Amino acid sequence: MAEPSERPGSDGGAASGGGAARRPRRRRPLLRFVGRRLLALVPLGIGITLVSFCLTNLVPGDPAAANLGQRAVDDPAIVAAFREEHGLDKPLPQQYLTYLGDIVRGDLGESQQSRRPVVDDLAEYVPATLELAFAAILISLVLGVGLGVLAAVRRDGPIDQGLRVFSLVGVSMPVFWLALVAFYVFFYKLGWLPGTGRLDPTAVAPPAVTGFETIDSLLAGDLATFWSALAHLVLPAGVLAAFTVGLLVRFVRSAVLEVLEQDYVRTARAKGLPTRTILRVHVLRAASVPIVTVVGLVFGSLLSGTVLVETIFSWPGIGQYAFRSATTLDLPAIMGVSLFVAIVYVAVNLAVDVLYGFLDPRIRVA
Amino acid sequence: MHRTRLGIAALSAVAALGLAACGSNEPTTDTSGGSPASGTAGGPAGTLVVDKSFDLKTLDPARLYEPTGLIIARAIYDTLLTFPAGDVTRTEPLIASDMQQSDDAKTYTFTIRDDAKFADGAPVTAKDVVFSLRRVKHVKGSPSFLLDGVSISSPDPKTVVLESETPNAAIPAIAANPALGIVQEKVVRANGGDDSPQAAKKDKAEKFLNTTSAGSGPYELERFSTTTQTSMKANAGYWGEAKPGYKRIIVRNVAAPEQKLNVQRGDSQLALDLSGDQVAGLEKTLQVQTTPSPNVVFLLANASPKVSAVTSKPEFREAMRKAIDYPRFVELGGRGATQAAGIIPSMFIGALDEGDAPEQDADAAKAAVEEGGLAGKAVKLEYPSDLTLNGLSFAPLAQRIQADLEAVGLKIELAPAPVATALESYRAGKEELGLWYWGPDYPDPADYLVFTPGQLVGLRANWQKGADPELEDLAKQAAATIGDERAPLYQDLQRKLNETSPFVPLMQPPSNLVAAKGVEGLTFNPTWTVDLAALRGGG
Repeated sequence: MAEPSERPGSDGGAASGGGAARRPRRRRPLLRFVGRRLLALVPLGIGITLVSFCLTNLVPGDPAAANLGQRAVDDPAIVAAFREEHGLDKPLPQQYLTYLGDIVRGDLGESQQSRRPVVDDLAEYVPATLELAFAAILISLVLGVGLGVLAAVRRDGPIDQGLRVFSLVGVSMPVFWLALVAFYVFFYKLGWLPGTGRLDPTAVAPPAVTGFETIDSLLAGDLATFWSALAHLVLPAGVLAAFTVGLLVRFVRSAVLEVLEQDYVRTARAKGLPTRTILRVHVLRAASVPIVTVVGLVFGSLLSGTVLVETIFSWPGIGQYAFRSATTLDLPAIMGVSLFVAIVYVAVNLAVDVLYGFLDPRIRVA
Repeated sequence: MHRTRLGIAALSAVAALGLAACGSNEPTTDTSGGSPASGTAGGPAGTLVVDKSFDLKTLDPARLYEPTGLIIARAIYDTLLTFPAGDVTRTEPLIASDMQQSDDAKTYTFTIRDDAKFADGAPVTAKDVVFSLRRVKHVKGSPSFLLDGVSISSPDPKTVVLESETPNAAIPAIAANPALGIVQEKVVRANGGDDSPQAAKKDKAEKFLNTTSAGSGPYELERFSTTTQTSMKANAGYWGEAKPGYKRIIVRNVAAPEQKLNVQRGDSQLALDLSGDQVAGLEKTLQVQTTPSPNVVFLLANASPKVSAVTSKPEFREAMRKAIDYPRFVELGGRGATQAAGIIPSMFIGALDEGDAPEQDADAAKAAVEEGGLAGKAVKLEYPSDLTLNGLSFAPLAQRIQADLEAVGLKIELAPAPVATALESYRAGKEELGLWYWGPDYPDPADYLVFTPGQLVGLRANWQKGADPELEDLAKQAAATIGDERAPLYQDLQRKLNETSPFVPLMQPPSNLVAAKGVEGLTFNPTWTVDLAALRGGG
């Protein structure tokens, strides 16, 4: 396969125009494409922070009242100290500009509820959510693609019918309900899986390298903690994956069916190629673009699903943090989370666009 | 070749998931008082796992005032005085071996015991006490108001004196609050601690105190997290007679529904946030301790005609007081809920007897509605929609109030709002009719003087100073009285509040502690919920 960096990506190709090869600065259109998308983060970030700043300040609520006790909030000296500590005593435009200035220095302010820098909070909670989200994506891909192909190959048979019901249930089941049922059945009734948290309470967390307990415990050579981390991941990730699996089964099924009817597949069959080879070499490859599209799209819903799943499974991730921040009007934390989510969306879309180029040469050439 | 690799990869993934399921530490179904790693008889048991829905922000005593923080700080930091188990009507010595109070309730003299030691073996001195309390006062954190108008001094190395500008009979109860925990001055100063009047800016010790404890309590902080779990290890050299009951105590952040399943499966040994409905049927396999909580749900009718032409009328107060079907309202609180006879909770000094509680009289209520010309005039009932109190949501409570008041001819519109928003309107005294609760800042009836005219909550109902001079005099007298005469004064005060105030005390929801049968020493305390340091892993 040709190196994608030597070919324009979907946007980059359109922008490069004719005669690009003559000019050295246009030799890396993919890099330029990625760079442009990353640059777009700047206005996007400003927009996100501005909107969340305005909205949070428009809500008729006082962070001091939400964060201090009922008596403390009526002590002017305590309230003044709180406002000064969190910069709330300054005019709103000044507060916002100060915040923007701090962002440039990598400072997202201090959370009012955790009383430490938002950057530290995010560094702790983001890996927990990403570990959960990646595990959910992994489960979705394995099950969604596998079952989708199976449904297409066994079209209109009992397996296909069964999978149709399965995917419908997966897509339409509310995440919080599924999480409660899964917790009840697999933890409480059957005792197959552990319940809340990322590790057993008595387990010692491995030294943080990636922030993923599974990987960090392996890096530390601590197999007991690894199994504990993996076991704790199964239920929440499985619940989170249910929707994506249901969706993927439908998409993969229809994509595969479409490809199966193509002339080149018929030709491959006529040439006597085994079905598995046809599926792997021709069908799955061609169907991979819609799969990547769907996975990219559902990443957002995965993140929103984490709020509920993390609460039910006591998973200390960004979802729980966002919920707690919103209910206590913790402005720096709310803006930190919003920025993070914006970055994730941009990164996922970027990854999807780049992956298109890898998966389908026609897109690269276009 | 490729196919084989793919197949192996898929099989590995499935196997990994399967192994994860089988290899997990299966929750035990035993209900012993500790983890499977329990210790030998006579020594501390292994690990106690406690589930709590976290509101934890900090473990710096001078800055903490959230229930979770108070629970943990109680086990780490000793205070001058303490409460005997769950009884908050009296205090007993802890770091202070003795306390003398002046007749005017302004001066409190504590003698510091000489055998108390910090975890590192250094003695607890009067200097440490003065530093700790001054720091609480000056950092301007959530608990600083406890020492407003109180000066702290040490005339000699064994004595600490608290002097209040105004009569303050609540000082002993305040001195037992874990937020006034004694920290080791030398250690805290070395890590940025400051107790000067500029401590709000100068003190930088919070970060240190969130990683390392500097107390003399039965446990030491091991690991702090505001979101996952905070763990403590036993202080091996604890100076007190009652040694720590566990080697480790882990307090985990878990939502209430999962707490129930965790404690039922033996995954945890203590659940602290279960509602009355959730504890039903648990007695067979677990200890369930249900007591009325010190939180009092009450109704507030605004006394200002500018805010409401309806609720400001005395007839409205009369009508709402008489319209409510109290027993049916209390039913909503589940098992263990009780009617609040007065605004002071049943377990405090000066609480009213059940016989003094307001009663329904629908005919009298209807008569008041007619007399005041209140029929059909809409009143907004505001309440916090996202707040749960002891597992109770406010929505069904508000609906019941609405039904009862409408049954006597009033017209009530429900106006729920998120707590952060609803608080604004409540604190600004803009609510026509409000449904709220008051949780004690310290377990003393003086904390409830805020419900009198011109005081904190009185003003939220626009009940201004001078609105009831007789009641205000009574409140002043109660605040300055010490000893046995306090109780009848506070009872009198509440009877008058029940007759004329814009407040109707409604209910004390239940507080439930659910623990494994083997956990000994379980007692609810209104200040620190449960004394983790008093628990023992028996069975």
